[in-house]
Amino acid sequence: MLKKIKGWFYPVTKKLIIILAVVAVVLSSVIILAATKPSINTVDSRISTELKESSGKMYAQATLDFGIFNAVRGQNVKNGKTETYIGIAGDTKKVDDIWAEPFADIVFWMPQLLDGAGTTIKLTITSVTVGIFLSIFLALGKISKFAVLRWPCSAYIFFFRGTPLLMQLFFIYFGLPLINPAMAIQDRFLAAFIAFTLNTAAYVAEIIRAGIQSISKGQFEASKALGLSYAQTMSIIIIPQSIRRLLPPVANEFIMVLKDASLVSMIALSDLTHATRTISNSSSTVLVYIPAMIIYLIITAVFNYIFNKLEKRFSVYE
Amino acid sequence: MSLIRTEKVCKSFGSLRVLKNVDMHVDEGEVVCIIGPSGAGKSTFLRSLNQLETINSGKIFIDEELFLHREHNATVEKISPEKYKSLLLEMGMVFQSFNLFPHKTVLQNVTLAPINVKKVSKADAEKKAHEVINMVGLGDKINQYPSQLSGGQQQRVAIARALAMEPKIMLFDEPTSALDPELVGEVLGVMKKLAESGMTMLVVTHEMAFARDVADRVLFMADGGIAEEGSPDVLFKNPKNPRTQQFLARVLNRD
Repeated sequence: MLKKIKGWFYPVTKKLIIILAVVAVVLSSVIILAATKPSINTVDSRISTELKESSGKMYAQATLDFGIFNAVRGQNVKNGKTETYIGIAGDTKKVDDIWAEPFADIVFWMPQLLDGAGTTIKLTITSVTVGIFLSIFLALGKISKFAVLRWPCSAYIFFFRGTPLLMQLFFIYFGLPLINPAMAIQDRFLAAFIAFTLNTAAYVAEIIRAGIQSISKGQFEASKALGLSYAQTMSIIIIPQSIRRLLPPVANEFIMVLKDASLVSMIALSDLTHATRTISNSSSTVLVYIPAMIIYLIITAVFNYIFNKLEKRFSVYE
Repeated sequence: MSLIRTEKVCKSFGSLRVLKNVDMHVDEGEVVCIIGPSGAGKSTFLRSLNQLETINSGKIFIDEELFLHREHNATVEKISPEKYKSLLLEMGMVFQSFNLFPHKTVLQNVTLAPINVKKVSKADAEKKAHEVINMVGLGDKINQYPSQLSGGQQQRVAIARALAMEPKIMLFDEPTSALDPELVGEVLGVMKKLAESGMTMLVVTHEMAFARDVADRVLFMADGGIAEEGSPDVLFKNPKNPRTQQFLARVLNRD
């Protein structure tokens, strides 16, 4: 059992050696590909002169430097004809295959999608982290024996759980400036962060309260009989034990926030959902939903993996 | 000199009067067992001593110093927090349900309070912990978690945990009631050893044989009061109170 705790970080096993080998191979191929890719000018020079000449107002061109390859796409707006070239491993290839075109599309959407995903992840992680921090105090306040603490905390939790997150977001972004222009929050991300943090704090506070109250009364009594103070009892005995029970619902909350983050498109903050819709509208394509959903699933899978690891880590004593 | 003395301790749960003017004392070096039918208030009384239950009225003296004085459900004489803590720590408590900290190893369970409450250095706390853990015979389980131990072993760790705080008196709240019958003996063995070492003990128990063999004095509690008390010889052989006779007839015939 004890070995397991230590081994969580560095079990020097066959598995580790295989992982290291795979990482080394991938890294070296990335470096080789990045070094041998044709320059963006070389790729660009292959775009047909016809498209280039019709440039001016009628011509749209996109270039993409993706680390391991360069890609250039030119579109003749007049007739809708598109040419895409990808320069990879010392060679430039024209994409004209009916099956390859959609992949080329996806590749060109990626920067925008990843940018949106970045906003989504950043918002989720920051607001849940700060929200959890606040929620500990809210939860302790709600179970406090002092009414001065209990009432405000209960009211806060009731309010933020009882009203829609979207309305809270609107209130903070659109409502506050109407009360007093000085209260306007210009930064959309900041407004979203505040709304999500306040909301998450209320939800996680309830999770933590339930977690603490699920610890048997005997643990409090033993702590009291040994002379531990309330703060010591909570921080050494009760909270560490409740963490194991809190992890699954907190993981759930994480994933809920990840998906609720799509609400920020309502205040024109470009998250993953917003980026997807923008691309879908401008290119009239439904294809973009596939990579977008896959990105959501990957993020969720990573969160799940981390929380599963944490759960195992915290249940060694069971 | 009495280590614990109570005067007119009363306690009700709502309209139910659980303790009615309990006067008792435990002298230094004495082993006192409290026996009696369920619902007599034995556990409540024991738990009132270290304030796991708040009494409605009465006085509790620890080591001849006032620990608690309440009248009409309010504390009359307040004592300083430092005094309160030092008197509280003169009592070590062992619970029916062990109440070990499941996320801590045996060693951590035993050193936790000395380090955090008494501010003993980690090295000193561990030295003391090894001593008491060996005393309860679990030297080889020191790095295990409570869930890896049997009930009897867990209760012995709980005894070691209380002993590590170097209390003057040990309170036992039905320490063997939650154990499988074959594990009772090992816990009683440790308690007997402790009694022989001169520890002052107040034990709420259903183990009549233990009370008869180890106790210096036995209190019989019924209906929230001490109905009869005396040396085990007298109380078990010649009970005077009809309630005691009735109770002993029932439990002893079972043996």
